[in-house]
Amino acid sequence: MANLAADLDYRERASRGELDLGWLRRSRAEWGIRAEPSRIGLTLRDIAVGTYGEVPDHPPRRTMAPRGADIPDDVPDMGYTINDKSEVWSDNVMELYEEAVSRQWSATRDIPWGDLAPIDPDLEHAMCQLATVLSEVEMVAADFPAKWLWRINHDFVEAKMFLCTQAMDEARHTEVFRKRALANGGGLGRATAVVEEFLKVILDAQSYDEGSALMHLLGEGIVLSLFRAGEMIAPSDVEKRIFRLCMQDEARHVSYGTMHLRYRLQRDPSLAEDFHAYLDRGEALMAVLFTTPEVVEPATILAAGSLEAAAALGSAASDVLRIQTVEEYLQRCDRAGLDRRGRMHLPDDLIAGTSGVAPGGVEAGASSPGTTVAAASGGVA
Amino acid sequence: MTPGTASSAGFPSAGFFDELVRDVVRRPEEYERLGFADCRLVIEVVEPTGEVRRFGLVLDGYDIRSEGEIADLDGFHPEVVVSGALDTWSEMLAAIAEHGFADRSHTLNALSIAGFPLSARSDDPIGRDKFYRYAETLQTLFDSVGLRAPAEA
Ligand SMILES: [Fe+2]
Ligand SMILES: [Fe+2]
Repeated sequence: MANLAADLDYRERASRGELDLGWLRRSRAEWGIRAEPSRIGLTLRDIAVGTYGEVPDHPPRRTMAPRGADIPDDVPDMGYTINDKSEVWSDNVMELYEEAVSRQWSATRDIPWGDLAPIDPDLEHAMCQLATVLSEVEMVAADFPAKWLWRINHDFVEAKMFLCTQAMDEARHTEVFRKRALANGGGLGRATAVVEEFLKVILDAQSYDEGSALMHLLGEGIVLSLFRAGEMIAPSDVEKRIFRLCMQDEARHVSYGTMHLRYRLQRDPSLAEDFHAYLDRGEALMAVLFTTPEVVEPATILAAGSLEAAAALGSAASDVLRIQTVEEYLQRCDRAGLDRRGRMHLPDDLIAGTSGVAPGGVEAGASSPGTTVAAASGGVA
Repeated sequence: MTPGTASSAGFPSAGFFDELVRDVVRRPEEYERLGFADCRLVIEVVEPTGEVRRFGLVLDGYDIRSEGEIADLDGFHPEVVVSGALDTWSEMLAAIAEHGFADRSHTLNALSIAGFPLSARSDDPIGRDKFYRYAETLQTLFDSVGLRAPAEA
């Protein structure tokens, strides 16, 4: 352990002008680096030069010292428990961090709150209930990274920085939906035990692997679909803007989750079964969420435009969204290296019409950009 | 409102997209506020005859470039292709011109959410997700049609 007593002899020598300069003369760090800014400024990718750009798979130390600095032997051990790069890294994490910082927005300034006008009370109720559910679920995506951040080795600082942007994004999502519930004559609606149970599973995850799969890949993928739907069914241009801005943030989080899992599985394919097990459990809970009136009905009413129309519409509108949501989730799992087709833990009626029904089932999702007119105009998304 | 300054070309044409991206030059502060983006995107228009026309857009930092009509789709290396019938695109642009911006059923997101009448397709879900990551930038770009003088829109 370092000697923490004040060095009075040094004070004495320094007062006489005898500088130590050990930090200057005996520097071992890579000197002479001049990182060049790119067109948008000096990015993390721009400064990933020389040894400074080398992120070790297994850092030799557990310190808060900046990666690439000279580190004396007597620095304390910070006790990090995530010391394997593949546990948190993704190949796009530097770009996602920069994008997150660049694309921040303000729920106070950037939403035209003054344009809110009274709407049909049923629609206001539905919008407020939807805002309640979203305000309830958003903060877990800040709590979860925050719970793990201090355990992550500082050599993976770019991943830690990205998770900090996610925490900020989720704070803003919590904020904007809380504000919407209170801004137009309604108020907060009803929380549910089912939603809370799902959040608890993420928060209580035994590993970052488990929580990240449940949250970044599964949960946020579904929330992204919900934001996309929200943009379309918004009762006014105010909510339309809220949902579109949230959608952008959420897609970043999902992109991290997808590419992180890919990075993880590429380096240790034997973990695939563990991730399948996490998602088995998560999907089963999702199935319960999809049958929870507080979660499902507000969007149906907003999509239909009234209570009566919602009753007539039944599940027709949500079916379209369900198929798209499941397909996009399966595609992200594929990209990550995890084939969930044929082993999804959703009831048959929730995966009906999707490629999740059978192993290697119908390719209803991403087709090649080079596909022909028939596919191009046939609604392949 | 800042009406367009250059003569407007009809949709779909390379000239239309050249004019579209000039909005970034006219209103740089609008796009810089939304933040930078990075995506190679193709707008695909299926004519009533079945002919498919494709136009390349590159979101590069705060800039958006029109790459003209694309003959070799794979050679362009698109990350996402947003595709639909000419009627759908025309209806969207007409709605933007009428309201000054896309109303809720005519945004890029709303039209593509069910995979029909527009679809956002990609080899790679990360490319498709960029269509969502940059939704506000892309919508601002297309909504700029609503800022043009009536004769241009
Ligand atoms: Fe969120
Ligand atoms: Fe999120």
